[in-house]
Amino acid sequence: MALREKFERRRKDARWVAAAYGVLLLLLTVIYYLVQRGRDLPSILVTNRVLLFVLRNVNALLILIILFVLARNLLKLWLERRSRVLGARFKTKLVATYIGLSLVPVLILFFYASELLQGAIDRWFSGSLRSVLEGGYSIAQSLQEEIAERNGRDAARLARAVPAAELDTPERRAAVVRRLAGWRLEIGADFLALYDGTEFVQAVVDPSSGLEDLPEIARPFLLTAVDTGRATRVVVPAGGRGRLILAGATGTAPGGRSRPLVVVGTLLDPVTAARSEDLIQSYQAYRQLEVQKSQFKASYLLMFVLVTLLILLASSWMGLFLARRLMTPIQALAEGTRRISSGDLDHRIEVAADDEMAGVVDSFNLMTGELARNRAVIETKQRELVSANRTLAEERALVGAILENLAAGVLALGADGRVLAANGAALRMLHLREAELVGRPIAEAWADPERTRLAALLDAPAGSPPAQVSLVLGGERRTFEAKVTDLPDAGGGSAGRVLVLEDLTELIRAQKLATWTEAARRIAHEIKNPLTPIRLAAERLRARHRQGGEGLDELVEPSVDIIVREVGNMQGLVDEFSRYARMPGPQLAATALDRVVTEVLALYRDVKPGVEVAARVGAELGEAWVDPEQIRRVLINLIDNAVEATEAPGKIEVAAERHGESIELAVADTGRGIAPEDRDKLFLPFFSRKGRGTGMGLAIVHRIVSDHAGTIRVEDNPPRGTIFRVELPAGGRSGG
Amino acid sequence: MGLRPALLLVGLLAGAGGGEPAIRDLSISLDGPRLLASFRLENGFSDELLARIESGLPSGFVYELELKRDRKRWSDAHLGAARLEVVAMYNAVTREFLVNIKHDGRLIESRTLQERADLEASMTQFAAFQAFTLDGASERERYLIRVRVELAPGEVLGFIPVRRTSSWVESNKVRPRR
Repeated sequence: MALREKFERRRKDARWVAAAYGVLLLLLTVIYYLVQRGRDLPSILVTNRVLLFVLRNVNALLILIILFVLARNLLKLWLERRSRVLGARFKTKLVATYIGLSLVPVLILFFYASELLQGAIDRWFSGSLRSVLEGGYSIAQSLQEEIAERNGRDAARLARAVPAAELDTPERRAAVVRRLAGWRLEIGADFLALYDGTEFVQAVVDPSSGLEDLPEIARPFLLTAVDTGRATRVVVPAGGRGRLILAGATGTAPGGRSRPLVVVGTLLDPVTAARSEDLIQSYQAYRQLEVQKSQFKASYLLMFVLVTLLILLASSWMGLFLARRLMTPIQALAEGTRRISSGDLDHRIEVAADDEMAGVVDSFNLMTGELARNRAVIETKQRELVSANRTLAEERALVGAILENLAAGVLALGADGRVLAANGAALRMLHLREAELVGRPIAEAWADPERTRLAALLDAPAGSPPAQVSLVLGGERRTFEAKVTDLPDAGGGSAGRVLVLEDLTELIRAQKLATWTEAARRIAHEIKNPLTPIRLAAERLRARHRQGGEGLDELVEPSVDIIVREVGNMQGLVDEFSRYARMPGPQLAATALDRVVTEVLALYRDVKPGVEVAARVGAELGEAWVDPEQIRRVLINLIDNAVEATEAPGKIEVAAERHGESIELAVADTGRGIAPEDRDKLFLPFFSRKGRGTGMGLAIVHRIVSDHAGTIRVEDNPPRGTIFRVELPAGGRSGG
Repeated sequence: MGLRPALLLVGLLAGAGGGEPAIRDLSISLDGPRLLASFRLENGFSDELLARIESGLPSGFVYELELKRDRKRWSDAHLGAARLEVVAMYNAVTREFLVNIKHDGRLIESRTLQERADLEASMTQFAAFQAFTLDGASERERYLIRVRVELAPGEVLGFIPVRRTSSWVESNKVRPRR
């Protein structure tokens, strides 16, 4: 059943309780009215045994019912309290308070009223009242007795006056009958009858007495009179008006013969009879009350007990009702709290209270609704989180798979210097097992001299260009390109570093092979070019000599010149190559690059008409740890090429700037530019698109930049021209 | 002195001595199939009862009679039961006592008496009263009755009614004869 229905029923209960109280009040009013009216009721009714019996038993039954209900309520309360039902203690206190508050005054009232009643009943039967009633009764009885006595005397006298023999013959009997009327008038009776034994003879009635007919004389009366000689009786005459007081007398005549029975009757007038009867009845009623005095007391006592118990029952009911009414929303709140604590956030309290509890219930329901909504949001977020985690895990697995399948070695280091992860390629490159690397501090894992050099790279500043390092690992020299980047954390700081190793050994080997192949081809080509004129000059000399030597002298001189010149060219070629091969390593020193740039640019001032050569040096350039001579040579080679490629009007700009821990030197021209297909070969020895030149210039530039652990790259210079950008570490590292 | 006054005298003497109400002088005889019972109630007609009667309240006794075979240990010894209600009421105007006697709820006698002694005798003494009819009774068996009287109910604590009865009294045994 829904709580709302329960509450509605409870409200109906309240109406029922109000109705019950109304009925109770009405019942008490009726009882009070009946008690008051009881004083005016006929005594015969008040003292009716059946009524008393019914009243007493109804009282007893009601008391039992009330005791049962009261006991049931109290037992129920006790059981609830024992079972620790919520609110049982409160109910108990409330009921106890109500009963306690009502018990004392009710008991006082009960005992006081009982005593008052006992006293009142005792006063009813006090001597004075009894004597008054007894006196009245005696007067009424005396009146009847006196009349009966007088009638008896008259009857006896008349009986003696009538000889028994007078009735033996019809003639004598007729004579006696004729005398009856005179006797009646003589004694002044209302009724006079003559019997022979119990046999009716004759009777006369005073026509003015009010007797409508001859009264019926009961046979027992006659028998008594005959047997005892005298009898009296009070009878109700025909018509029921008044009372007829009869007296009969007979006697025994001399000789033992019975005399006739004479019955004399006096009619008591209705008013006197009624008054007399009232007196008698009043006394009788009083005696009945007296006889039932104890029963009256008991009945009234029962009535008081009934009222007392009714009040107690009403008090306990009121206590229970109020407690129940108060506890209903509290129990609903407790139940709601229990349900919500067990996870049922859809539970709502439905108590249609109309007092302060309504606010509490509404707040509770609002809180529950808010909790439910928050839980829904949390669940949604949780689902999203799970989904994101799953995606993340998938991505991590993908990244892991990618990392595992990467040719490059990747190591992640935490901020504390411990290796967080390393892919298979890294382990293979470094000739280490995962257990020897992952989870250990890098200084401990790479304690050997070779790997210590690699570890030193990890201290390079963020954004440093990749560095090449050559290590002897597993008895083999390997060349790696190492790139160190920061591992950003969620706050934008650094959570560690990532080292990416690329094994360049094979690439370098291949590049070297290709380079030397190209160089060999170039050398062959360069050597072949002078060999042809030398061969032609020599063949021409030999042919002229075979022809007899005519004109040989004229031919010797130019041919030898050709041979000498071409050999000279070959010598220059060999010298250049020899110089490239013998180029020493950089001698690093703190160098003010702005001065180097200024000095180099001074060589090219006005070198080519219409071509402007300018410098742009950053204010924060400062010093760099480089070989100043080699850097000077780099700039000269690059500017030479730019001047060669730039036609007037044109511009050549040399820029030197610091970007954090690196220095950038850029040489930009507005010349003809470099074809894309030539860019891969620019830095190879003996590659040149110029008509003259050895093709070693950019090869030497590339060698110097590499020796400084720097990079060089070529870009277009829109709208036309080329930019060579050289990036060098300001700290002055040098490649191995 | 007739039998009734004599019994009355005996009764009064016995009553004067006080004691618990009891059935006395219970005897039965057979008149053909009619079983006639005679008994009297001793110490039953109390002053309290007389006062109740004279106050005009109908009051009296209920005599309970049971007919039995003379087989004490047999379960079918009980043959029948009868109730004899004797209720008296006083008319203070005519100064007469009206005594009604009912046998199993049927009025069998109504007397009007003027004397208290007659009243007591009529309520407590029964002579040759036809209690049962032994139709089809076996000559081979003997029969008896037992009687007790139920007095006006008493009270405990002033309001709890209690039934007051005398002890059962058994009569002589009679054997029907054809």
